Amino acid sequence: MNDGQKANTSDIERLVKASQAGDRNSFDKLVRLYQRRVMRMAVRMLGNANEATEVVQAGFIKAYLGIGKLRQPKQFEIWLLRIVTNVAISRARAAKRRAEKVKVAGYYDNKNNLSPVERASTRELKEAIKQAMLKLSKKEAKAIALFGLKDLSHREVSEIMGCSVEAARWHVFQARQKLKGLLKDHL
Amino acid sequence: MKDKNEQIDLLLERNTTEQLQTVDWDRLNAAISGRLDQARQRKTPWTCRSTAFKIAAGLVAAAATVLLVVLVRTDTPTGMRFENGGRAVVEFIESKGSASIQIRPIAAKSQVSIDIGGSCREVAKCNIEIIDVKQEQQKNGRRPTWIIIRMPEPVLADNGTSRDEMDLMCLL
Repeated sequence: MNDGQKANTSDIERLVKASQAGDRNSFDKLVRLYQRRVMRMAVRMLGNANEATEVVQAGFIKAYLGIGKLRQPKQFEIWLLRIVTNVAISRARAAKRRAEKVKVAGYYDNKNNLSPVERASTRELKEAIKQAMLKLSKKEAKAIALFGLKDLSHREVSEIMGCSVEAARWHVFQARQKLKGLLKDHL
Repeated sequence: MKDKNEQIDLLLERNTTEQLQTVDWDRLNAAISGRLDQARQRKTPWTCRSTAFKIAAGLVAAAATVLLVVLVRTDTPTGMRFENGGRAVVEFIESKGSASIQIRPIAAKSQVSIDIGGSCREVAKCNIEIIDVKQEQQKNGRRPTWIIIRMPEPVLADNGTSRDEMDLMCLL
C-alpha cells in the first residue's frame, strides 16, 4: 500500500477478525499494510522520523494488545490512527517538557549528495518544523497531520479526533495560521 | 492567503516525504515484530489457563491500571488513611505548580475534588491509597505522604501539557 493512501483491500476485516482470534500472522499483515501510512501521519505530526518510529512501534503494540476490544473490524484504520495520534501527542508533550534536542540519527539523515550548506539548511528546516509542531495544541497537531493523509475523508478525520467535521476543519485552519507565523522564515 | 496555506502544506509534505525516504522499513517492521513477540509472550500465560481464569484475567486486564503518584504534603497524623475524608495540598514533582486535593470516602471508591490554580474544580471517583513516608515531621508541621491514584489506562490516552497536571486532569 502506498504510504499516503488508504488500504482498499477487502481482506482488512478478515485480517482483523483473525487477529482478534489470536492469529499473530494476520496482525503482522496488518502491520505491513498500515505501517507506511501510520508512519507518514506520525512524521507529519512530530516532524521527526526518529520519534515517529518509536511512536509507530508503541502504537502497534497498543493496537495488538487491545484489538480484542475493537467491535467494528472495518473501523480498524480509524481506530489504529486514533491510537497512534494519542501516542504521538504523549510523546510530543514529553519532548516539549524535556526541551529535548534529539539529533537526527545518521541513517535517517544520509543526504550525502547535498553540500554542507544545504545539509545545514535542511537540518535547520527539520528542526524548525519539529519545534513549530510542538507549539500547536494537540487538536491542531492531530488535525494538520490527519488532513495530510490521502483518501482520509473529513468525516473520518473528525471520527479519529472525536469532534465534528467543522471543528476538525477549524483546528486545521488554526494550525496553518500558527505555522505560517512560526515558519515564516522558511516560506 | 490560499498561497500561504498551500506553502505550509507543501512544506510539511516535503519534510514528511524526505524523512520517510530515509526510513529503513524492513528494520522498522522487524522492530515492531520483535516487540509484538514480547507482548505475545506476556499474554501467553493468560491464554493457557481455564476459561474462568481467562474471564477473570480479562476483567482485570480491562481495568488495567496506571499508578499515578504525586507527592502530598499534609498535616494529617501518621497512619491516617482518609477513611473519614481529608484534605491535602499536592505539590507537583515533575513540574512547577500546586493543587489542592480533597478526598471523601464513598461506597467502594473515594471521591476526589481537585483545585488547580484556584480556578479549576472537578470531581472524580477512583481508587486511592495513601502511604505515609516515615520521615521526621517538618518545621511547618507537614509531613510528606505518597498518594497513589489508580485509573484505567484508556483515560490517560489523551494527555495535557504537563505529566503531573495530566495525571490529575485525567482523573476528571
